[in-house]
Amino acid sequence: MSDLASLIIQQSINGVVMGCLYVMVALGLTLIYGVMNQINFAHADFVTLGAFASYFFVQWMGGGYLLSIGVAFIAGGILGYLINLMIFAPLRDRGDELRPLIATIGASILIENGSLVVFGPIPYQYDTPYAETIRIGKIFFTEQSLFVVVVASAAIAGLYAFMKFTFTGKALRAISQDRETAGLMGINQAFLIMLTIVIASALAGMAGALLGPILVLTPFAGASVVVKAFAIVIIGGFGNMEGTIIAGLLVGLIEAFTTQYLGSGVIDLVVFGLLLVMLLVKPTGLIAEKKEENV
Amino acid sequence: MFKSLKLIVKLLPIFILGALGFTTNSFAQEKVIRIGLLYPISGPGSYFGVMGREGTDLAIEQLNKTGVKGYKFVVDYNDSQCSPLAATNVVKKTLENFKPHIVVGEECSDATLAVAPILEEAKVPLLNAGSATMKLTESGYKYAFRIFPNARQQTDSLAVNAYRKMNAKTAVLLYEKTNAGIDISDTFERTFTLLGGKVVARIDFARDVNDFTSIATRIASLGPVDVLLTSALEGQTVKLAQALAQAGITKGGGGKAVQIGTIWLPWGFDQKAGKASVGYTRIAQFDPSEQRPIVQNFVKAYKAKYGADKVPTHINAHAYDTIMIIAEAVRKGATDSESIRNEMLKMKDVEVTTGKITFGPDGQNQNMSVIHYVETQPDLSWKSLNW
Amino acid sequence: MSDHLHKKSSFPRWIWYALVILAIAGLPILVGGSAYWKSILISISLNVMLAMSLNLILGYTGQLHLGHSGFFGVGAYATTLLIQKAGLNFWVAMVASSMLAGCIGILLAFFATRLKGHYLAIASMAFAVILHQILLNWDSMTAGPLGLYGIAPPPPITIFGDVIKFSNQVNLFYLVSAIAVLVFIFLDNILRSPIGETLRAVREDEVSAASLGINTKLWKIFSFGVGASIAGLAGSFYPSFVGTLVPDSFSVVESFTYLAMVIVGGMGTMIGPVIGAIVLTLLPEVLRSIGDARLLVYGVTLTLVILFMPGGIVQGLKALQPKKSSTPV
Repeated sequence: MSDLASLIIQQSINGVVMGCLYVMVALGLTLIYGVMNQINFAHADFVTLGAFASYFFVQWMGGGYLLSIGVAFIAGGILGYLINLMIFAPLRDRGDELRPLIATIGASILIENGSLVVFGPIPYQYDTPYAETIRIGKIFFTEQSLFVVVVASAAIAGLYAFMKFTFTGKALRAISQDRETAGLMGINQAFLIMLTIVIASALAGMAGALLGPILVLTPFAGASVVVKAFAIVIIGGFGNMEGTIIAGLLVGLIEAFTTQYLGSGVIDLVVFGLLLVMLLVKPTGLIAEKKEENV
Repeated sequence: MFKSLKLIVKLLPIFILGALGFTTNSFAQEKVIRIGLLYPISGPGSYFGVMGREGTDLAIEQLNKTGVKGYKFVVDYNDSQCSPLAATNVVKKTLENFKPHIVVGEECSDATLAVAPILEEAKVPLLNAGSATMKLTESGYKYAFRIFPNARQQTDSLAVNAYRKMNAKTAVLLYEKTNAGIDISDTFERTFTLLGGKVVARIDFARDVNDFTSIATRIASLGPVDVLLTSALEGQTVKLAQALAQAGITKGGGGKAVQIGTIWLPWGFDQKAGKASVGYTRIAQFDPSEQRPIVQNFVKAYKAKYGADKVPTHINAHAYDTIMIIAEAVRKGATDSESIRNEMLKMKDVEVTTGKITFGPDGQNQNMSVIHYVETQPDLSWKSLNW
Repeated sequence: MSDHLHKKSSFPRWIWYALVILAIAGLPILVGGSAYWKSILISISLNVMLAMSLNLILGYTGQLHLGHSGFFGVGAYATTLLIQKAGLNFWVAMVASSMLAGCIGILLAFFATRLKGHYLAIASMAFAVILHQILLNWDSMTAGPLGLYGIAPPPPITIFGDVIKFSNQVNLFYLVSAIAVLVFIFLDNILRSPIGETLRAVREDEVSAASLGINTKLWKIFSFGVGASIAGLAGSFYPSFVGTLVPDSFSVVESFTYLAMVIVGGMGTMIGPVIGAIVLTLLPEVLRSIGDARLLVYGVTLTLVILFMPGGIVQGLKALQPKKSSTPV
């Protein structure tokens, strides 16, 4: 295989691995937006806390890594429940669509700096049991990255199936498409909305457990992912699952190839430039399935 | 009338206590050396602030047990947030309220450079142990001192050793996009190319980059490289080292290249990075295994105070050393800013945990014993290289 | 939320303005010779300008704008570079960079005209990130993270034969606060005029506003343009005040600080952002013990205020007032 071909394959692999992680984070955001028309700015901090939860489960309780992913999943779910309880539910009926966003910005700052007080600023060393490197010719990847892709794909597929085939999933899609009509059909919106945010945040927590070994684990770890996650959600189309998946993988690939040819210093510039271009050209995102409500 | 009397009676104890407090304070203030501290205590920069505090507190505790020439030491912590604006605000605050005889700080070059002119004008010495920027001691400040080797001191030595002792002809520069990262990379490149080496690529990254596989892939695509100068903090360097090993570039991953670096990584880095760090050759300002009594005593005291399972880092050591240098000046008879400054200028081979200190006329430490090289062994321990 | 129509108070406005100006004039005397407090006063003046200008966009026109730090940065860097590289006079540079910031604001406004709510929020954040990245990466112009140093204060001016030097922090404070007061008066008058009505109509219900014949696009552009140029104007004074200019002072996180000031003070009122800026600038300085948890306090305050007292401190103050017979709000 030529050098160039190996290079392209390698960077593509790198891009897909990071892309899977981005998708897991972004899917939660897009789910929440689709059903609730709200953005949870603290979403990425749930990722960080999920990572910490799984880290401490392994370190202090001597649990296994696989189980710790479940722990992170649950931790994320609990956080989602709490933020719904304290911010989204109380503000929902008051009609102001921007107040919850601002409240979650405050919550995000609070969580990050509260975590700083609790965990301190020194990065935690999160070792994964899947540390071996697999080599095929010039291509390399770690067991962990393989694991990430497998688990993330399973989670994404699971979520997709849930949304498309189960009753609850269909109800959620109904709410996201037309809230009033859904209400008329007797769907218990408050409960389903709570369920949505719990699932979305649980996904985020789980992403944290997968990301833990990859991230420099400090209370600010999530912040490094959040802005990109927003970019992905917009590029893919707010509320649109297929779009988010494609956009997430795309951003991962863009990062890898930008690093190769332009330098990692300009990654943010490229990704956000792309975001702004998308907003101008096709604000509804790559796959316009949703009604153009907010544009 | 009675109301005001009642009021006075109620307030009297406060006045008395206040007066007492005032007098006891001024009593204590008679033989006290005041040290103002600028450390990033909030936000991500607190990585430095937390460790700086540990080192400082330990030093103060030890010194105040017996005092030095009848003087006790009092410190005033200020959160400079690694930012020029915050640093200039708090330095003014401490100068007015606390009136320090000397100020120690900061960790980030831009914050340090922002406060230097203010302290220069106030004629209060600034003792720095954390920024590498050449501008601190090359701008003509009479009151700025630094025990930390500046960028050129670090990289000249490193470049020469890489070229001569390690036979490196090609280098890739990897650095975080900050003042420090850029400074170190620039000065290294200059010297290295002067010697005849070639810098094949300069790769920078932001402080919030987590995944280095793409960067490692890029480096692999450049072809064989001899050394990889790495200038990043511990968290990122662990990931970077691991990625380089995964890509088979460095010795730790079966390749031939060697990562080199200056004073960024604490002891304990190698354990965190694992196999990937084998062969890493770098300048370590503080080696806790060094047998010099001053080092061993420091390590023991640190463990006693902070936990037997912890090992002090170079940031702890630097903070500790700055206080000890000040104490040394006091021991020689200094009692105020001017005399502290004069004593520091006179210092010759004053021993601290990171080496020996001799300040040049520009305030920069000239004694190169602070530069020691270590190489990570296969068992992840350090081997001191006598370069 | 807004209460501009109610002023049945007995004092004409200009008396309020005069009182405030008098109070400001007295502040430096109050803090005596403290260089530290003079710096804080200048910081407050700058933050007041930033909060007021953000409030124009957010509070009055209802555009959720998370990228204000970008305009501030443009003002700061443009002024410094125009002086250092193009040799322009400070005052000229100040006007030019304010206009440049305004133009960039208008650029963002184009997004605002096509997007709403959350989309705009994210777009404005992306804008701020891009501006920050440009400052960081355009090394040849801005020196990137290395920063620019030794920035001189504005050049002395001569009034009635007296030379006023701005290396003197008291004079600098008077200059900056004078500009802040002028900005306040300017914005106050605009918002009391039919323009203010129009902006509020756009905020409340864009569709209805359009049906009334309001050119919502134009007014959004107006808001962003004016708001951005004020932020740019504030930016002109920042570098000479600190003496050092680095890109990280203008990261997206700073935008959240200004947002907090507007909201905690009281969004959609004139006095709200002023109060918010003063309180949130002073709070970390005054409560030294919270030094470590400064940002934590911001986060808590912002969250609690938006949840329980969305009108901010102004709402709280109004609630404390005895019920007068005033016009319904």
